[in-house]
This record gives sequence, structure tokens and C-alpha cells, in this order.
Amino acid sequence: MANLKEIKRKIGSVKNTQKTTNAMKLVSSAKLKRTEELAKRSRVYAAKLTELINEIAQKMQKNNAEGIDNVYFKENRNPKKVDIVFITADKGLCGGFNAQTIKRVNKLISEYKAQDTKVCLRAIGRKGIDYFRFNGIELNNEIVGLSAAPDYKTASEFISEVADSYVNGETDKIILVHNGYVSMISQEIREDQVLPVDSSKLQLNAVSTSELEVEPDDDDTLLDALVKRYVEYTMYYSLIDSLAAEHSARMQAMDAATKNAKEMVKTLTVKYNKARQEAITTELIEIISGMESMK
Amino acid sequence: MKLLKLEIVTPDGVIFDAEVKQVTLPGSEGEFGVLPEHATLVSLLDTGVIVIDQADNSEVAVAINSGYVKVDEEKTTCIVDGAVAISGEGSDLALALEQAKALLKSTEASNTAIASAVSRIERIGKSF
Repeated sequence: MANLKEIKRKIGSVKNTQKTTNAMKLVSSAKLKRTEELAKRSRVYAAKLTELINEIAQKMQKNNAEGIDNVYFKENRNPKKVDIVFITADKGLCGGFNAQTIKRVNKLISEYKAQDTKVCLRAIGRKGIDYFRFNGIELNNEIVGLSAAPDYKTASEFISEVADSYVNGETDKIILVHNGYVSMISQEIREDQVLPVDSSKLQLNAVSTSELEVEPDDDDTLLDALVKRYVEYTMYYSLIDSLAAEHSARMQAMDAATKNAKEMVKTLTVKYNKARQEAITTELIEIISGMESMK
Repeated sequence: MKLLKLEIVTPDGVIFDAEVKQVTLPGSEGEFGVLPEHATLVSLLDTGVIVIDQADNSEVAVAINSGYVKVDEEKTTCIVDGAVAISGEGSDLALALEQAKALLKSTEASNTAIASAVSRIERIGKSF
């Protein structure tokens, strides 16, 4: 009989877990919708900004045969120090979302270590910070709360510090790693080189219709300001992208958990029924054999 | 009359997208107006007010903190950090004015630039 009670208790507990996971799934899907909308709107801005940088870079390249002579565009072939900025979630329960990002960061670290390049880590989000702290790997900069609620100001302050060290020559390359949103059911690790701006990625072959007039006259001033904005925006957009991915990953994980719980309730119910029947059978045999012996 | 396509984009989305008669922009080297078929131009924008002459002759003002503008023959695109459109009536207008003032004051521009922009939006607010 004790076994029966035990199984019943288990069924109750699994059912409760199922309720929780289902609720979390619903919350995530609602949040995902909101974040998706935000991402959609900011994509327009990102597209326009990139377009503008393209055009100015194109103009500068036309004027200067050796390529673009600007600190933000100079590619250092042998980087001595690389900054890796990575975004993880503040919370868990979202499948392999955080683990994937951490894995990629670890891979990058070992790759650069092999090339004798110093690596400087800058973490956004509690999960990543916890992991590297636990493993005794030093983080140069960390921030909690930004990945759950992306805020343009905080994001730009964070990345500006990194960008400043690039301009000062303290670091040669800035890489941004995050888990990006692809669709409701899939995420993808994205690794972007923030600085120097990858000029091979810019479409420098577009034909401009007329001579571009620039105000202020100095191309560099404008380009500097633009690149700064571009870097800040890349950061902000990555945060939104990562948040959308986090919600979709959590939705998936919780969906799977709900399904598993359902499956478990099913097997437990079968087990319960079997145990119950067994108990009844034993009891019957006892009664019958008792009667037999009375005869 | 020819019209020019104007787009104002902020990180939070497109806030203005229509054909207009003329637009006045707060360039970093001074304020300038853009009419249809303006020569191609890229400029930094300072804290200030964008004044738009719409096709139906009404005027719209948008307070911005900073950004860029790209003008070409058929299209003008403003990429700005933060913007508040001053429109509506009564309490809506008052709210928009408050937001615009807060936006202008939060920038790092010089006090005179902020003061002139604030007084400008106040004047525009009264003209509604």
C-alpha cells in the first residue's frame, strides 16, 4: 500500500511541474513576440546606418587608392590582444542557450591562445559571468541585468569603453559573440567582428549617382562619429537579438519539459493502476484461500 | 509641385515617412533647408528641431538630440538617436512638449543650443 501512496504523490508533483513549465512557456512566447517586434523596428535603423557608412567609406576609398586610411578600418594582421565581448542570459532554464555561447567563447580563447594572442573577456549576463568565475578565468568587465532588459544608453556606455581601448591601441580587435535569433524554433551562434570595421563586408561596388558632399568637410570627423554609432548600435542590436533568442530557446525548452512531464504522468498512471490491481489481486487471493481453509 | 521623400529613423523604429515640400534640419555647421532635388549631401545633425513643411501646407516639428542626414535627389533620410514629434492637441501636445524638452536637455550640447531649441519648440507648441 505504501507503494501506491508513493506513486500518487509522484504523479501530483509531476503534474505541478508540468503546470509551471507550461506557464513559463506561455510567458516566454509573449515576451518573444514583444522582443521580435523591437528587433524588427531596430533592424531598419541598422540597415540605414550601414548604408550610410558604406557610402562614405566608398567615397574615401575613391579618394585614396591605398584603401581607407582610418583607425577604425585598419586591419591588424597580427593582433596582440583581442577583446571578446559575449552575451549570455541572466537566467537559466533555456536549454543549451548559454552553454553554446560559452562553448564558442572557450573555442575562441584557445584559438587565440595558440596564436600567442592575449585575450580579454568582457561578459554580459549572469550565466556567463558565473561560469568563468567558477572556472577561475578572469573577466575584465562584467555587467548583469543588461541582457534581460537591453537599454541603449547602458549598452553604448559598455561598448564605448571597449572601443576606447581599441582607439588607444590597447587592443587590436573586438569580437562580439552572442546566440542570435533565427526563428521560433532555432537559434544560431553569431560571431561579429566589431572593430576594425570589416571593409571586405562593406559593399563598395555600389555606384553612386553624384558627387557626395560632406558636412563637416572633414571626412574623418564624420566617419569617426558614424563608426562610433555603428559600434554602439551593433552592441544594442545584438542584445535585442540575444534576448529574442533567449526567449525562443526557453520556449522550446519549456515546451519539451511540458511534453516530458505529460509522458511521465502517463507512465506513472500506468504504474499506479498496475500496483492497485496487484494489491486487489493479492487481497482476493488472501480472502479465497482463507475461505478454502475454513471448509 | 515636386515633393521630396523624407524618412526619420530612430533606434526604436521609423517615426516619420512621407512626401513633404521642404524640411529644415539642424546641421552641425548650421541650420539648412532641403527642397526636392537637392544635391547629394551627408551631414552630422546637432541637437535641435527638424521642421517639416508637409504636402498639405501644415507644419510638423520633431525635436532630436543628434544624428546624421543623407540627402540625395529623391530621398532624405535622417538617422537620429532620439526624436520626439511635437503634434496633437491639448494634453497630448503638452506631453509631447515635455518629452521633447527632456530629450533636448539630456544631451551634451551647449546650453545656448539647448535653450534656443527649447524656445523654438515652445513657440511651435503655441502656434497649434
